[in-house]
Amino acid sequence: MTSARLSLLSLALFGGYSAAGIAAQTTPQLGIRDKTPNLVALTNATVQTEPGKTLTAATILIRDGKIEAVSSNGRVPAGYQQRDLSGYTVYAGFIDPYTQYGVPKAGEGEGFSFGRRPVYENERRGGNAANDAIHAQQRWVTQFKPDSKAAADFLKQGITVVQSARQDGIFRGTAFVASLADDLPNNLVLKADAQHFMAFSKGSSKQTYPSSLMGAIALIRQTLSDANWYQAATSREVTTVNGQPLEFNAALAGLATIKQQGVLFDTSDERSLLRASRLLAEFDISNALLLGSGYEYSRLEQIKATGKPILLPLNFPAAPDVTIAEQRLDVNLADLRHWERAPANPAVLAQAGVRFAFTSHGLTKKADFIPNLRKAVQHGLSQQQALAALTTVPAELLGLGQQLGKVAPGYQADLVISRGDLFAEGEIVATWLRGQENRFTPVQPPVFAGKYQFNLDGQSIDITISGTAPKLAGEAVLGEKKAKLEHLRVQDQRLQFSLPLRALTEQAIVLQFNGVLTGEQLSGYWLDAAGKQQLLTLQRSAVEPKAPKAAAEPATQLSRLTYPNRAFGLSALPVTEKLHIKNATIWTATSAGVMQNTDLLVSNGKFEKIGQNLATPRGYRVIDASGLHLTPGIIDEHSHIATEQGVNEGSHANTAEVHLGDVINPDDINIYRALAGGVTTVQVLHGSANPIGGRAQIISLRWGADAEGMKFRNAPPSIKFALGENVKQSNWGTEFNTRYPQSRIGVETFIRDQFQAAKEYQAAWQVYNKLSRREQGRTVPPRRDYQLETLVEILEGKRHIHTHSYVASEILMLMQVADEMGFKVNTYTHILEGYKVASEMQAHGASVSTFADWWGFKMEVNDAIPTNTCLMHEQGLLVSVNSDDPGLLRRLNQEAAKSTMYCNMDEHEALKMVTINPAKQLKIDDRVGSIAEGMQADFVLWDQHPLSVYSVVQQTWIEGARYFDRNSDLAQREQLENERQQLIQKVLTAGESARQGSTNSYKQDDPIWHCEDNDDWLKLRFGFGDHLHSHGHAHGGQH
Amino acid sequence: MKLIKSLLAVACVLAAGSAGAVNPVPGTAQTEPLLLKNATVHSVVAAPAVQDVLIQDGKIAAVGTNLTAPANARVQDLSGKNLYPGLIALINQLGLIEVEAVRATRDDREISATNPDLRTEVAFNADSVVIPTIRSNGFSHSLIYPSGSLITGRSALMQLDGWNWQDALVQSSVGLHVNWPRMGIQTGWWVRDSVEQQQKRQAEQLAKLQDYFSAAHAYYLAEQAGLNRGRDSRWHAMLSFFEGKLPLFVHADDPRQMRQAMLLAQQYGVKLVIVGGRDSWRIADELAANKVAVIYTAPYGLPTRGDEAYDQAFSAPGVLKRAGVQFALSLDGFWDTRNLVFAAGHVTRYGLDQAEALRALTLDAAAIAGVADRLGSIEVGKSASLVVSSGDIFDYRGHQVEQMWIDGRSVDLDNRHKQLHRRYQQRYQQPSQSVQP
Repeated sequence: MTSARLSLLSLALFGGYSAAGIAAQTTPQLGIRDKTPNLVALTNATVQTEPGKTLTAATILIRDGKIEAVSSNGRVPAGYQQRDLSGYTVYAGFIDPYTQYGVPKAGEGEGFSFGRRPVYENERRGGNAANDAIHAQQRWVTQFKPDSKAAADFLKQGITVVQSARQDGIFRGTAFVASLADDLPNNLVLKADAQHFMAFSKGSSKQTYPSSLMGAIALIRQTLSDANWYQAATSREVTTVNGQPLEFNAALAGLATIKQQGVLFDTSDERSLLRASRLLAEFDISNALLLGSGYEYSRLEQIKATGKPILLPLNFPAAPDVTIAEQRLDVNLADLRHWERAPANPAVLAQAGVRFAFTSHGLTKKADFIPNLRKAVQHGLSQQQALAALTTVPAELLGLGQQLGKVAPGYQADLVISRGDLFAEGEIVATWLRGQENRFTPVQPPVFAGKYQFNLDGQSIDITISGTAPKLAGEAVLGEKKAKLEHLRVQDQRLQFSLPLRALTEQAIVLQFNGVLTGEQLSGYWLDAAGKQQLLTLQRSAVEPKAPKAAAEPATQLSRLTYPNRAFGLSALPVTEKLHIKNATIWTATSAGVMQNTDLLVSNGKFEKIGQNLATPRGYRVIDASGLHLTPGIIDEHSHIATEQGVNEGSHANTAEVHLGDVINPDDINIYRALAGGVTTVQVLHGSANPIGGRAQIISLRWGADAEGMKFRNAPPSIKFALGENVKQSNWGTEFNTRYPQSRIGVETFIRDQFQAAKEYQAAWQVYNKLSRREQGRTVPPRRDYQLETLVEILEGKRHIHTHSYVASEILMLMQVADEMGFKVNTYTHILEGYKVASEMQAHGASVSTFADWWGFKMEVNDAIPTNTCLMHEQGLLVSVNSDDPGLLRRLNQEAAKSTMYCNMDEHEALKMVTINPAKQLKIDDRVGSIAEGMQADFVLWDQHPLSVYSVVQQTWIEGARYFDRNSDLAQREQLENERQQLIQKVLTAGESARQGSTNSYKQDDPIWHCEDNDDWLKLRFGFGDHLHSHGHAHGGQH
Repeated sequence: MKLIKSLLAVACVLAAGSAGAVNPVPGTAQTEPLLLKNATVHSVVAAPAVQDVLIQDGKIAAVGTNLTAPANARVQDLSGKNLYPGLIALINQLGLIEVEAVRATRDDREISATNPDLRTEVAFNADSVVIPTIRSNGFSHSLIYPSGSLITGRSALMQLDGWNWQDALVQSSVGLHVNWPRMGIQTGWWVRDSVEQQQKRQAEQLAKLQDYFSAAHAYYLAEQAGLNRGRDSRWHAMLSFFEGKLPLFVHADDPRQMRQAMLLAQQYGVKLVIVGGRDSWRIADELAANKVAVIYTAPYGLPTRGDEAYDQAFSAPGVLKRAGVQFALSLDGFWDTRNLVFAAGHVTRYGLDQAEALRALTLDAAAIAGVADRLGSIEVGKSASLVVSSGDIFDYRGHQVEQMWIDGRSVDLDNRHKQLHRRYQQRYQQPSQSVQP
């Protein structure tokens, strides 16, 4: 034991205590120069030189901050200060790739707040981007200032090197990699320009745009595209744009290095991670590290398929709170499952071969880092994998694999010293940073446990000490009598305790002992009742053998893993079947009408044959549909289910650049509920906050699939427009009166002007495309504009408009603008006054999709009538009935039935309003919407007439695969309840410890979206907002 | 009989001609007996049967087979048609809100959390264009209530064919309404407050509510002893509550809220009605044992929680029925009240039979509103508030409301929607109509 100092050292390193030879290259040294050598030999250590490789009784030679040699029983050369590390394990210092160490944090109070006027523009300085969520010009190394206080929290967890940048905004700037040592920043930077940090959060930006996740994604897309354009433009001989000199843009210039330096993308759950991965792939950014969430196990195949490494926060959730019986009502199965499975997530990823590193990001208390590491190991992660995730993997990901992550010659002398095995119950006692030690606890603390005997006034008293400091216990025994020792402490290596004699000798006296252990001798002194000191030496008779700790029980999991992983998720995705459906009443939604006692063969996801008394081909399953009605799957032209973090990019008046396809949430329970109502296809539309809204996404309700799997294959592109009260911000509150347009007269002008811009954009590209290759090489190409490009698609007839509309005037207006600018209005949606101008819409060629009977919710629906469908149908319009609401969605058959009741619509025609008619409006009627040979086998079995209020869906099929079955649903309910109760029991059994962990890491559902929901969801999501509208949707929402 | 048909035809033509947004004229008081023959009578108190019903002086004078018409009676044959009591829609804001988003048209709530002295009927707009659209789907009566915070005011039962609110008022002060503070924890990412903040606010709100009742009770005790020094408008309005004459209508969905409300009702010994009751199925036995009635407002609802079965909200009424809880159905809105009849039909596939669904819109609704002696069934002595549907009134495939009487007065079933329909039908029928390219 040669350690010089055993007192608990403060972490703050001393000024000038920098590694010798590194300091003072350009910085003048004033006063006396520091020439302390850095020559250290760590001996007798167990060394994990790298994951999976262990040396015992090893010697590590450190010279000038670097490891010089590592060997078993190595000789210590002369001149090296020796440290005996018997009983200790040495690991390479840990690397945390995602921190905000040493950089100024985003200012407090910079956040957006509601009730304030919307902010459309930002302050321009230094060639910044036009959006304050873009900080790509920032090189955070330029602001790096070491922070020993912040470093201490990392060092105690063994983290010696971090990558850091300010975590604020969408494009956050370039991070740097630095040592956590206390030195001049100049000496600490390992990599000045490391990864570009990115996220979907706009952070402290006060700008209204983007206000939704899809807006953030659109902004990322436009910005990355702009960066490519800017790079190309600056390399051209002629750098004028429309006759103007090319602008200087620091943010775009900053992004020039993004592919080489790579990206660290901050994501919030596995859906967000997959989105980030896809988005980067669009721009061929393959060098990317994606921040994980602990939910990766729930979509493992997709995570694996990204091929990207994952950065896992070592953060596990606290159990849902069930400490009070009634709190169970607030707890859902998905969270219970996640609580159980999250600690095994790293092991699951490791088994799947996904490369990952760990980060302390997201931990409320950094001190939970190592305990959580052990938890991951207890749940099946091998020590080797765990160590790799802390050392070699992050080192390689940061391009520093030749300097960091191993205990090997030439590597930086960043070491973690653990008493015992860190992955089991060891404790970090010190870290070494570039050959300098930071000690947290004495490296060789005396162990006082044992039995000691001494004489007190001629009586022999046995003293037993057990445990290790600070958890010490002790007992004194005199004959039959026992007394507990009090005030047991170890201070400055000295043991101190008090012995109350009352229980032993009935004297009201307390003796105090203080002594130091040398070998097996405890020598010190008593203070007696009179305060007199009596020197004595006690011989330790036996050290209690330490009971071997029982191996941690393998964690058994009670929960099921389903897709999505929540109640009513599926254990396996439904498969396409071969079916012979017998004796059904088939509502074809074709000219064949309703066919009684008819058979249907289904194979390869399609209707193969319709007819009576068909023979059952080999291998076909027979479904006896006697007494049942079979209809096409229900289709909704207008829905907002399966939408994540914002249904409106309600900031700007034209947001054609945003795309609902970017934010499909396949885990929305409303998908399953809709299936239970016979729905198979919906168009997920942007809200109605702006005249030109976002691009829509048609989805097939393939419950269990991921976001991409939900998308209706090769669906023709569409887009949402809106007119009237919502777009002129009538009911948004008094602060919303600065955005053009504020009236229906402005709406017309705005839309015309936007299409004019699109035409000019189209023309600019046409000019450019006509240039010779050589000329193109010399010219700055037009900047790709996602917004105008979308409008050009409309002009070219490739993208179809579904426009929210109510009153007759605006309906006529849009058709005139369309005729003038040369586009078509595909479908008027809501269109509650459509009955007034049905013949005009018929002449234009528009179709219509309406509410069955909604009205009363705002001024512009004052003339809505429940016979609107019939009047429009009678004028030859293609009419559908839509829901715009997840509750209404699951009874669209009843909504269609209202037209038979209010205005005697033919029943088959009425059913068409929720099947083939919306299919035609979505231009997918060649595949879905009717029952005919060759069509996609999307169908519903009803137990009664499908237009009856009494009809209940029995089964819903998509492409010949069964996605809903009422009997299975009923059978599943008890199983789900049992699982839920078992998991609650598991939480209760775990007692108070179940509440340890993160309380904010569960996924949270989106609210039920409606057209008008226009809060700044990005702000709310990421904690900057301070207000939420109370949604007074007394009747299921406003529209 | 023929006469009546032709009269109806004339009325329709007249209405078509006017086509303005003016509500139909309220019916005139019954001057002569009316014998309805051979209707399928859904009396509520007995199984449906083909019977005759005699109405006289606004009341049901006789129900039976082969009734003989009094000398001066008009006779109408309802063979093949269904006769129901006028449907009663409890809990909505008909006449209080005309256009939801337009504040000027709303009189459904007041500021302050202590509003026991508000009586809702005084703002009831009998000329609301919404009302005739509700009537024409079979509803003759409506219980309108005030919304707001904590103690929101007193509800009133209205008949839906009046000249003004005084004319339409059937029963004032049906219930004292309390909007119970939320007790569940919200966890959506859009929720601003932490769990702890939510719990703290909830505890504060609950204490505040209990304090209000305690203050009102102090006023009641002092009033009885003649010790009040002046009138407190709020607490004075609650004297009848402490006398047990004004039932407590608590708007609550969560078991925690409902249990707290039961304690409060027990404390003051009053009748409790739960309004909303999404989770009432979870504690149906407790509600039954405590004789708590429920006005269930989610017959078409989505499940309250992600773990609940997709049809949980549909099946709650059946659970209440089996547990013996008295309940009615509602949609708690205004314009959509016309769909309540279909919602009632809808839930019959989830554990409630049709007779029970009808009862929930008639006799049990009347009982909860305290007017079962007058309304809610086709029985001798009760109000002649009746509705004729050609088919099953609960199903789109049968629902055709052809006639309605309220207190024996014949109700004109025309409405703004029918008027607009006819108006624009004419547009397309006019030969001059041509489409501009």
